[in-house]
Amino acid sequence: MPRSLLPTAAWLLAGLALAGPAWGHGDEARDQPPPVKADFAPPVPGTYTLHSIMRAPGGQVVDLDGRDRRLAEYTTGKITLLSFVYTRCRDAWGCPLAYRVFDAVGAAVERSPDLRSRVRLITLSFDPRHDTPAVMRQYAGEQAARGLDWRFLTTRSERALAPLLGGFGQDVRAAATAPAHDAVELTHVLKVFLIDPRGVVREIYSTAYLYPEVVIADIETLRLEGRSGNAAPAARAAGEPISR
Amino acid sequence: MRSLSIRGFLVALVLLVLAWATPALADETCNSPYMGNLIKAQEDYLYVWTLGMKGVGDGSDKLVTIDANPSSSRYGKVIHKVSVGGRGEAHHMGFTDDRRFLWAGGLDDSRIVVFDVGTDPARPRIVKRITDMPKRTGYVGPHTFYALPGRMLVQGLSNSKDKGGVTGMALYSNQGELVTTYAMPTAEGGDGYGYDIAINPRKNVLLTSSFTGWNNYMMELGKLVANPEAMKRFGSTMVIWDLKAFTPKKVLAVPGAPLEIRWSLKDGDNWAITATALTSKLWLVKPDANGDWQAKEVATIGDPAKIPLPVDISIRNDGTGLWVNTFMDGKTRYFDLSNPEQPRQTYEKVTGKQVNMISQSWDGTRVYISSSLLANWDKAGADNEQFVRAFKWDGKELTPAFEVDFNKEKLGRAHHMKFGSRAMKAAYRDAPLASAR
Repeated sequence: MPRSLLPTAAWLLAGLALAGPAWGHGDEARDQPPPVKADFAPPVPGTYTLHSIMRAPGGQVVDLDGRDRRLAEYTTGKITLLSFVYTRCRDAWGCPLAYRVFDAVGAAVERSPDLRSRVRLITLSFDPRHDTPAVMRQYAGEQAARGLDWRFLTTRSERALAPLLGGFGQDVRAAATAPAHDAVELTHVLKVFLIDPRGVVREIYSTAYLYPEVVIADIETLRLEGRSGNAAPAARAAGEPISR
Repeated sequence: MRSLSIRGFLVALVLLVLAWATPALADETCNSPYMGNLIKAQEDYLYVWTLGMKGVGDGSDKLVTIDANPSSSRYGKVIHKVSVGGRGEAHHMGFTDDRRFLWAGGLDDSRIVVFDVGTDPARPRIVKRITDMPKRTGYVGPHTFYALPGRMLVQGLSNSKDKGGVTGMALYSNQGELVTTYAMPTAEGGDGYGYDIAINPRKNVLLTSSFTGWNNYMMELGKLVANPEAMKRFGSTMVIWDLKAFTPKKVLAVPGAPLEIRWSLKDGDNWAITATALTSKLWLVKPDANGDWQAKEVATIGDPAKIPLPVDISIRNDGTGLWVNTFMDGKTRYFDLSNPEQPRQTYEKVTGKQVNMISQSWDGTRVYISSSLLANWDKAGADNEQFVRAFKWDGKELTPAFEVDFNKEKLGRAHHMKFGSRAMKAAYRDAPLASAR
């Protein structure tokens, strides 16, 4: 956890400890801290189907060392959990929630011999002007050095970012009154994408349904599917959605 | 019934025999829980999905945009309209999870039109048309559009095989590609019918209701009510689904065509409410002491013998009150839901000669009402008022704020309403946020 985030995290965790089973109507529940856990038992992994939604888009990203990389390197070959964030985000229901869920999912993955080498986490910034590789390294803190395959990425420019946002269908908006980008408070609907080893998006989570135990059950479902070779139909083309 | 005119006779026939109702779904408190950017302050725009009327204006279905901000010089005026071409029984709409796009469907032609309302909320524009839903899914009559993360769940009302009430849901990606379909259950008490969708994500529950098929909702009202066999073909169930697995868990018996579903949004609440069109009742859906979901009748709307025909409901954001519109008597009723087990009517007002949809602002102080039910079910002659009427609500009285006469403006039949806001803009002007469409 980067030091700059510690006060926020402490507040968040304190709030979480007090949180009851709030309704989960996403936006309107934001006066309350996000819930700690699901108020239901997820279905047993492998007993349900995660349909193919779309192929993860391609594009160029930048790693913590400032090297240009193809995003596809990070969205294929493993079960991948990807979220867009921006490090200045202060909305407890936004990027900090994604960070917390990723941390919890990562801990479960680390504990599982079946998942440890099969799962990757991607935190990708949609604020390239501010979130340089150096800033992303600070944001990653010790997570990047953890045994877990958790990558923190950014992009070289808004031009490089655009096809990724468009391909994933990730909105990013700015407060209308902000005079210049550097001062803009960005808003977005938090989305987390679960991508199978073929690079196909199989589930999308947002605030109202983002629970670590649900995500882990879905990851297990994809692992079991890979073992049985019974995968859902593949996507048609990069960045394109899938039909049955 | 004051006269014995043909219209009066027809209405009387309806009152005696009928028991059907129809479509509705609206307002800020009924949006999908997955939807971001709820408008909790003053809405700027009112989008009205409008049925084309032959000989009225261009005769086409259209999306009408009304300025709804009292501080605007154009307050209460039509500021934009976009025709989709032809008449397909325009009915309901739903925003995508990010509120950038508005999906709208036609119950007759089964076409779906996607409007971009994010680039310029004052001037929606068509960015995609989905014309192959019946061919790809076997379902017709796209009714409810319910946002899931990155996807749109569409409830059909009928099927392409016999155009009866057995139907299902179609899941599309936000880019408009079909992902999969889910059939409404026909076993263990299920009638296979569909109507509305409402999700409680904290409980992993998807709840559906049931109406009737294309053969009925496209039939002229007089013929329908005179056809006893047709009148038997209305839904009488609600279904509890496992949301994650998308499998039906329990069929609830709710006779009389349960239509709109509203979950209480109050923290800690775990119940939903619906109104039955044919029997004019409010039904509560909640778990019993053992956690088993149950449905029970909790209130009567007007005099069921007179078939007021409840068609739309709108719940307060704290779950303490419910608006109910009844089509036949043109009344707007308010029920105190402080005790959802015993709703109590505390107010009523005639708001039109025929009223259908009702939408309220997040804070409940503004209420909007539209007039049209279905093209073949709307009243005729002078009773065929077509309007959107805005009211202020102070907790005691509905006070008129503005009205748009859709007949006078040559727009058509005003049906479903959704709110728009100019409050936000895209962070990156050049980002293809509307790509893949």
